Amino acid sequence: MNIIDILVTIVVVTILVTIILAVVTYVAYKLRLAREPSSLDRSEDGLRYFVSYSPSGTSDPDVTAEGHATEA
Amino acid sequence: MSRERHSVFGALVVVFATVLITVGFVVVALIVGPDIQAVLVRAVLVTLVIFLVILFLRYFALLWFAYLGHAERNVLGVNKHHEMPAISVIVPAYNEGELMERALASLMELDYPEYEIVVVDDGSTDDTLERAVRWEGRRGPVEVKVVTKRNGGKASALNAGIAASKHPFILCMDADSYLEPKTLLRAIEHFGDPSVGAVAGNVKVENRGKIITRLQALEYIEGLNMPRRAQGFVAAVNIVPGPVGMFRREALEEIGGYETDTFAEDADLTLKMISAGWRVVYEDAAIAWSEAPERWIDLVQQRYRWTRGILQAIRKRKGLFLKPFPDFPLWISTIQLGFEALVWPVMNIFAHLFFAIVALLFGAGELIVYWIILLTLLDLVAALVTVSMEEESLSLVPMALIYRFVFILFLDVVKTFATIEELFKLDMGWGKLQRVAGTQ
Repeated sequence: MNIIDILVTIVVVTILVTIILAVVTYVAYKLRLAREPSSLDRSEDGLRYFVSYSPSGTSDPDVTAEGHATEA
Repeated sequence: MSRERHSVFGALVVVFATVLITVGFVVVALIVGPDIQAVLVRAVLVTLVIFLVILFLRYFALLWFAYLGHAERNVLGVNKHHEMPAISVIVPAYNEGELMERALASLMELDYPEYEIVVVDDGSTDDTLERAVRWEGRRGPVEVKVVTKRNGGKASALNAGIAASKHPFILCMDADSYLEPKTLLRAIEHFGDPSVGAVAGNVKVENRGKIITRLQALEYIEGLNMPRRAQGFVAAVNIVPGPVGMFRREALEEIGGYETDTFAEDADLTLKMISAGWRVVYEDAAIAWSEAPERWIDLVQQRYRWTRGILQAIRKRKGLFLKPFPDFPLWISTIQLGFEALVWPVMNIFAHLFFAIVALLFGAGELIVYWIILLTLLDLVAALVTVSMEEESLSLVPMALIYRFVFILFLDVVKTFATIEELFKLDMGWGKLQRVAGTQ
């Protein structure tokens, strides 16, 4: 086997293996995507289980974030 | 069937059909007579020559215009503008808790006299909002605002940030990136020209510890920044990258901000800006360091989204393909995006596969080896030139040896599948890349 034959083998194997690996990785990605949980349904105020408590003793349904962050 | 299963089923059909066609070609090639086989070998030669001609023309044009852009800015020093108006930096974030604070810390170190930071929490489910709120308030010359909203995607988060900002120039970045101190200073210089609506910055890969990330580092320099540099010379950059892009507020307001109907809001916005007549330029010293995917499956996820998003942006303008006028810059930008996303990957795969099969079956191996050597030399030269222009590490140049025949070929397969899925409008989602904060 001369050097050209060796190089041809390396080139062809590299091309075919790369394409096959790309196809396999793409399929793996799609399968991973299918296994991810879907987004939780959220209530209108973004809270799922709890209602925020305010010191005045009444629940404040407009509070959706900590600190002073402004809600857009 | 759920939406996700629908997409997987569709994707598997695409893969199966592609493999079937390829195997069919091989079988046909094997059973036809020697005359037909001789025709196939000649077809290889013709295809190889055409492919090489297109490749050389493309590289020559890109390298030449990239050099002109580089010389214009760094050698002749034209277009420098020294006013420093106030800038708003918008940081949209969704579950970026690990990297959020690093981004904000880098923004505190910017070398610029007056700017504000607007962090937009896009309905994160981790501690992103809590981490951002800790930075809220005035810190010396910098004011940090935090805005939270229901999850709606990056485009809507950027629009919310723009609405909450107040300065005449806006820099949009990603929460998983960080800026170099002189980024604002270098980008703002271009806005002395009143026709400039946006400046595309230079995105570099931060994490270079693995071969996959070193290949991406080279790709960003040679495959993304070099074309942008070339496009910048004619002021028609077709994508202002998400990690670092500065805009004139007037231009953003004129085009109505980001639209939420694609997964590549950066490409879509840039095409809108070009269509509105604004010039979009490139600044290689406005640098953002970004974390590249370290696993091949994460790389697939990223490039899949990029490809489909770009095709969605092109699809919105599909009526333009046969109408170069009156909006010639937009037509050129759209055609180029379409060529790079749609035509070139398919040509590349076809050429490689075709040559490999013909070499295996009909003994044209010597021809293929010389072709590979020629292309590898071209890649090495292109890598050397582009790495030098960006004053990057020369240790990236040897990556050019496997750049085209492994890395680009891998990505082209992914892009082709993404293209087919987009053509059939299969469902897709954003997904979330796994991050490794602070690695080098």
